[in-house]
Amino acid sequence: MLRSAFPLVFQFPHRRKPPPIPPRPPPVRRYASPAAAAAFPPLPPASAYVHLPFCRKRCHYCDFPIVALGSSSPFPRGDGDDPRISDYVRLLLREVAATRPVSDDGVPLETIFFGGGTPSLVPPKLVAAVLDALRGKFGLSACPEVSIEMDPGTFDAAKLRDLVGVGVNRVSLGVQAFQEGLLRSCGRAHGLREVHEAVGIVTGCEGLQNWSMDLISSLPNQTQDMWEESLRCTIDARPTHVSVYDLQIEQGTKFGQMYTPGVFPLPNETDSANFYKIASKRLSEAGYQHYEISSYCKTGYECKHNVTYWQNRPFYAFGLGSASYINGVRFSRPRRMKDYADWVQKLEDGTWCPESSTSELKDMAMDSVMLSLRTASGLDLHRFSKSFGKNLTLSLCTMFRPFVESGLVIAMDTERQALQLSEFDVDLENKGDTGSRVAFIRLSDPDGFLLSNELISLAFGIISP
Amino acid sequence: MAGAAALRRAARRAVRTLANSSAPPRTISLPERLLSSQASPEHRPRAGVSGSDLGQYPPERIRNFSIIAHVDHGKSTLADRLLELTGTIQKGHGQPQYLDKLQVERERGITVKAQTATMFYKHAVETSESLGTDTPSYLLNLIDTPGHVDFSYEVSRSLAACQGALLVVDAAQGVQAQTIANFYLAFESNLSIIPVINKIDQPTADPDNVKAQLKRLFDIDPSEALLTSAKTGQGLSQVLPAVIERIPCPPGSCDSPVRMLLLDSYYDEYKGVICHVAIVDGAMRKGDKISSAATGRTYEVFDVGIMHPELTPTGVLYTGQVGYVITGMRSTKEARIGDTLHQAKSIVEPLPGFKPVRHMVFSGVYPADGSDFEALSHAIEKLTCNDASVSVTKETSTALGMGFRCGFLGLLHMDVFHQRLEQEYGAQVISTIPTVPYIFEYGDESKVQIENPAALSLNTGKRVTACWEPTVIATIIIPSEYVGPVIMLCSERRGEQQEYTFIDAHRALLKYRLPLREIIVDFYNELKSITSGYATFDYEDSEYQKSDLVKMDILLNGQPVDAMATIIHNQKAQKVGRELVDKLKKFIERQMFEITIQAAIGSKVIARETLSAMRKNVLAKCYGGDITRKKKLLEKQKEGKKRMKRVGSVDIPQEAFHELLKVSSSK
Repeated sequence: MLRSAFPLVFQFPHRRKPPPIPPRPPPVRRYASPAAAAAFPPLPPASAYVHLPFCRKRCHYCDFPIVALGSSSPFPRGDGDDPRISDYVRLLLREVAATRPVSDDGVPLETIFFGGGTPSLVPPKLVAAVLDALRGKFGLSACPEVSIEMDPGTFDAAKLRDLVGVGVNRVSLGVQAFQEGLLRSCGRAHGLREVHEAVGIVTGCEGLQNWSMDLISSLPNQTQDMWEESLRCTIDARPTHVSVYDLQIEQGTKFGQMYTPGVFPLPNETDSANFYKIASKRLSEAGYQHYEISSYCKTGYECKHNVTYWQNRPFYAFGLGSASYINGVRFSRPRRMKDYADWVQKLEDGTWCPESSTSELKDMAMDSVMLSLRTASGLDLHRFSKSFGKNLTLSLCTMFRPFVESGLVIAMDTERQALQLSEFDVDLENKGDTGSRVAFIRLSDPDGFLLSNELISLAFGIISP
Repeated sequence: MAGAAALRRAARRAVRTLANSSAPPRTISLPERLLSSQASPEHRPRAGVSGSDLGQYPPERIRNFSIIAHVDHGKSTLADRLLELTGTIQKGHGQPQYLDKLQVERERGITVKAQTATMFYKHAVETSESLGTDTPSYLLNLIDTPGHVDFSYEVSRSLAACQGALLVVDAAQGVQAQTIANFYLAFESNLSIIPVINKIDQPTADPDNVKAQLKRLFDIDPSEALLTSAKTGQGLSQVLPAVIERIPCPPGSCDSPVRMLLLDSYYDEYKGVICHVAIVDGAMRKGDKISSAATGRTYEVFDVGIMHPELTPTGVLYTGQVGYVITGMRSTKEARIGDTLHQAKSIVEPLPGFKPVRHMVFSGVYPADGSDFEALSHAIEKLTCNDASVSVTKETSTALGMGFRCGFLGLLHMDVFHQRLEQEYGAQVISTIPTVPYIFEYGDESKVQIENPAALSLNTGKRVTACWEPTVIATIIIPSEYVGPVIMLCSERRGEQQEYTFIDAHRALLKYRLPLREIIVDFYNELKSITSGYATFDYEDSEYQKSDLVKMDILLNGQPVDAMATIIHNQKAQKVGRELVDKLKKFIERQMFEITIQAAIGSKVIARETLSAMRKNVLAKCYGGDITRKKKLLEKQKEGKKRMKRVGSVDIPQEAFHELLKVSSSK
């Protein structure tokens, strides 16, 4: 019944024809950053994030809002649902129901992302219920991207088939590593055998073409050989997308108590940087584009949902601890279940309204720089200039000049062809007035990306001295 | 802020008093009240002390004295006890170390600023005419002095207003280096010295040994020593009688036109410049016109009074008395310490002034945040109003922007200045490596005094033919088992032994001539550490000596950092250069490019380190749409950069400057 609720078209791979290379930025209006609310009236969100917080256990590096279920019910079907999950989904549906769409003229959702947690622990029919609710509330576009995060050992072929059946068309598989020892020391709830099984299920799933392999580098005791091995196994599995995260030691996590960044058994800064470079090299050689700091894809397989974030476009969010960006307001929901339930109640009662935080223009400029410089598309200078002024744009370029010289920053023309330093200098001298060729600036891959925090915080210093 | 606040409070009280003066001033016949044993706050004079009361105190009934001691020998506690004993302050009221008003003084247990308090005390004297005894009241001025060598300028200033001094020595520790220095300052000022062996309640007290030391070192008769414990009160009753009996009354002529010595001045935001004065001749009344011998300017006396212990207006001060005067002076710059103030339109012989201030240590003082120059400028101006011993000139550094070159009496003085800037004025500063004033002579026989190493240019075309550096004569007292290591330390520091004697069976006294440069940074700490804290140390200025000096530059990526230049002895350059470079490598964070750190003399590089480029600073984490945390992180990073000082393209953290201060001058 659930399956029949969706048009047949959803059963097919949603994308056949990849877009031209390199990925073009979306049309102008998509940028509609509320920053320049005056110049660009904000569009209603076309993306929704749904947080499904359940995990079997908490990984040692994780500081996300999750609910650990324990080892029971690895992939339940039928009636044996964990009441904690169904109760939560009920709450989630109440939130969706209580949320007012930003516009009445029905801008349908183009991307939906089920993140977690381990969303693959949630029974497909409950995922379907959420999708139904979203469709009912906001509408879905003709071929929306519907992603779900899945962990090895939490699903079988039938469950994946069910998920695809209810409309999921993109899987983000949390493999993290291809070494038994590393998986164990991360506190993952699965071993290497489950990894291979899961890869087999995903690649063998008819109707699912688009999937991402998620890896983590700089794990404790990880060697360069292990990292090369993980990358090789990844490439062999031929996912359309690869996410390479760099382990962050967060306060309050088990790793936070055990380890100090850069100190054994964690790799030092040099080795860690090297892992990043190796990933960039190996994946590029295998035909993946490094389109964002931690994201690689085969041509046309960017994660459209994440692209929404990096383009500073609005998005809905639902569920525990999730962050939405609607009408220029970023809002994070409570991270504790009880608080979240109370908040949903308030939302229903109409006693909660988002803080009318009128973000300052410079905050918007910082968001725009911070997000766009994470991507290979880079910062669109013309657009930035229009929203935030020519002087600020020029100051940014002047600040970046030494890094254009040293190769950490790349100036590009409108076709995103890299420009020489001399051409950049000419533009600087003309203050962008005549013959302005520099249309975009981006951070280089891998050196600029590797120092993105430094470079972006320098830009922050210019925007908000 | 404690000091400034206390002064302000006192001033406000005084202002209120003045404001109420349309009502008949509540004057109290003061001495009797004060001496009554039940002196209570209500009975204590605050509204004013009438001039007729002070008139009861001719010079014969006045004693002006100070207390001198090695640090921690109990000077401030003794002062507190004397103030309590005379009812000037109440026991248990107010804070201990009453006269140490500055926060820095309380924290460090030192006295930085001279303070004065007037006390009244009845003392029985046997009179030859009458059959019985008379019990007249005496006016006693206690002039507190700093103990540290850096502040000997303050000491000499205070001593100029005294006829005697209590030389306080710890009964267990005995004579220490500052005891000796202070004794000679007092001795040279012809003061009567009353030795007070304090802390006799300690189990390790050995007053007889101390008496023997006093005899041996200063030729003081053991019978003259008073034994006290300021803590238990033992022996305290002998102190003030001894002051009255042994210290002469102030000289001076009551009938001459008024003439007074300007001891100190400070600026009060409500009352303006307040001068502390000692009346040498004549009397000064409110409304009088007085002139400065130094500037020739004439002022009207708006207010005059005593410090009892806060400003207490009396309307008049008579010969031999010590008090304050408020005139129309706008700035403490008009109130030159050591100046003679006298009756206007009369010609008087100026009193001998003090030894002029000699600045031994210079350092650049810059706002930690370059944009705060105005605030720093204001703070320094305010502070120098109350510490005229600091010299200040504007300077500019390419690394640090606009700032000041300040001259100090010594390193402690410098530290105290920085601490007061911070505590009393909230100024955050970066100070550059301290330097001493060197003299460079060129081929054309011109000589330049260099107070800022960056200002010494070796490429002027003029050949340096000779350099001189200032030296000091250091006195070190140590238990004899430490003599070896101390001699070693002094010779490492290019010292030249002048004297080596034993002051008793266990302790040795060493005198060395040392280049000032060698002791300004860490000598005292080093000395303390190799002697387990037993060494005491003091020094006095001595002459300049010829020396083989070079200017050492620090270069970052080839660019000299002017604020890090130093002048140094040629033989030490290599070592110190190495150390500075290592220190910088440790404190400069990796940046997006490689940084070379060099120490160089002229074009010759003597030490070099490379700081490799930062490899990675990226947040590649799955964070969903929640960008707020990431943004906060980057904003924090941005703020971090803001606190850096930039030279060329290199960001230098403030700590690097602070750390450089700690690099030994010679180790």
